[in-house]
Amino acid sequence: MKKTGKTVCYAVLYIILIILAVFTIFPIVYILLSSFKSNQEILVGGVNLLPKEWLYSNYKQAWTLANFGRLTFNSIFYAFFVVAGCVISSMAAGYVFARGKTKITKIINNMVLCSLFISIGTLSLYPQLQLAKSVGLSGTLWGPIIIHVFGMNATQVFIATGFIRQISTEIDEAARIDGCGFFKIFYKIIFPLCKPLIATTGLMAFRTAWSDYLLPYVFTISEKTKWPLVVGVVSLKSSGEAVSSWNLMLAGISISILPMLIVYLFLNRYFIAGLTEGAVKG
Amino acid sequence: MKKIGIEGRKKHPRIRTGDNVQEVLMITPMTIGFLLFSVYPILWVIRWSFFDYNGYSTAEFIGLENFIRVFTRDPAYWDSLKNTFMIAGLKMLVEIPLALFLAVVLNNKLKGSAFFRVVFFLPSVFSIAVVGLIFSLLFSSYNGIVNAVLRTCGLITRNIGWFSDKSHAMFVIILVSLWTTFGLNMIYFLMGLQNIPASLYECAEIDGANVFQKFFYITLPMVAPILQLVIMLSVLGTMKMTDLILVLTNGAPGGSTEVVMTYIFKYFFSYGDNTARSVQFGYASSMAVVTAIILGVITLIYLKMSRKMQEMEE
Repeated sequence: MKKTGKTVCYAVLYIILIILAVFTIFPIVYILLSSFKSNQEILVGGVNLLPKEWLYSNYKQAWTLANFGRLTFNSIFYAFFVVAGCVISSMAAGYVFARGKTKITKIINNMVLCSLFISIGTLSLYPQLQLAKSVGLSGTLWGPIIIHVFGMNATQVFIATGFIRQISTEIDEAARIDGCGFFKIFYKIIFPLCKPLIATTGLMAFRTAWSDYLLPYVFTISEKTKWPLVVGVVSLKSSGEAVSSWNLMLAGISISILPMLIVYLFLNRYFIAGLTEGAVKG
Repeated sequence: MKKIGIEGRKKHPRIRTGDNVQEVLMITPMTIGFLLFSVYPILWVIRWSFFDYNGYSTAEFIGLENFIRVFTRDPAYWDSLKNTFMIAGLKMLVEIPLALFLAVVLNNKLKGSAFFRVVFFLPSVFSIAVVGLIFSLLFSSYNGIVNAVLRTCGLITRNIGWFSDKSHAMFVIILVSLWTTFGLNMIYFLMGLQNIPASLYECAEIDGANVFQKFFYITLPMVAPILQLVIMLSVLGTMKMTDLILVLTNGAPGGSTEVVMTYIFKYFFSYGDNTARSVQFGYASSMAVVTAIILGVITLIYLKMSRKMQEMEE
């Protein structure tokens, strides 16, 4: 009697879990499948999940007509520099905060901490843009790249600080006796020990860069050829030609979410670690 | 080992000075970036909040006039703030019980719990702007799949215009932001649950406690600190919500679903087809200051809570 009760209980739980999982995945699956439908089929609507006829031309059109080839290149360019830069800058900052002994370091560390609590979110975009304009960096993706790399992303820096603090200082001392200076210890000893950290920060930076919308949007608003994917895809919605280009929009969305989906499938462990550690430590 | 190092350093003050120089040099680029991109915008906003300035005309110092306007003559700002809190509150009512429930279920060694964890976390990796776009297509009134499914099931006879009245649009906004973050919150709760010693449950079982008693007398009190964290992160996250609203509804219908960040954002930049409203940097700055103070107060409460949380851990 007790056993059947338990089985029923588990069955109910599984049904709830499966329903929720379907709801979670459905929007993504729907978009991916619909991106192969003809524009007419999309405009008519209906409950068909699978396309009547698999059309690959949507992608071809999006790639050439809506210039998604260019946008994809921009996104890769943007993500590459943000990831490479953020990994190095956040590790360097984390190392200094974890091992540094000067007063200046402590003051800066406290200021970064405080900045978590005095934040104006997206409202700092305008002053940032003005700043970029004054040095001729508006209209390119270099402005957003520099902001991401040198802007001291508090979450990433704190994860790095926490990680490097856990590395035993005995290694440093040994190296110091061998004549290594502060910087040499960083790139000869600490950096090679930080592979898991590189994976976490790198993925977080990749996610930020790949999904970034407003920052690159305000910087490259008038330079269509500089847009990253997300900006280009969203612009299709507001461009008034929306009705005639649903298929392009769907193909564009698919192009922009597929890389993220693939990376997540293989590296979800690091994603989950990065996003949660950041929030708890930050 | 450590001792030798410290003594060694004392004997060679020159080496330590060199180290100090290297240390400061290493942090300098990021410090400049931090000052320029985080501190400068705040100072910029504070300064211009006292000016009447739209970028073209000459700026005119008007003292507290902008702030008086925020507090007395701009009900739309307060409406957007009300919307923000409403979204935060309603979202939390569903999200937190749901995330906690899933965490408790998946914390048992169920078959496939790793799979469900990965699935539920999936939405948090996508671009919020693209998510907004995806859902605006799903909820499109003529050819959206949501209306089609509801019609086929016989639940509605006419298509619902999801973005043509406020309550429907708010419902969609809450649903979408729920979709993007419930998995993340589930993971927070899972982390909290894993810290609960199994012996507590064993004792309770010996005393004959049932599932619900175990949940309310052990699980809930033990995850209380994480619960506070999740609540605060959720409120702050909603307060800063911008991309989703801009792409999903852009304030439609008629600005009634505007949240505080998008409302101010549109005084800084003309966005979408909303070009009727002209940009006003001075006024936008003063609203930014007011909002930052509100955000700051909320965060202070959060800080106090997390202090309490640490004390509890110790």
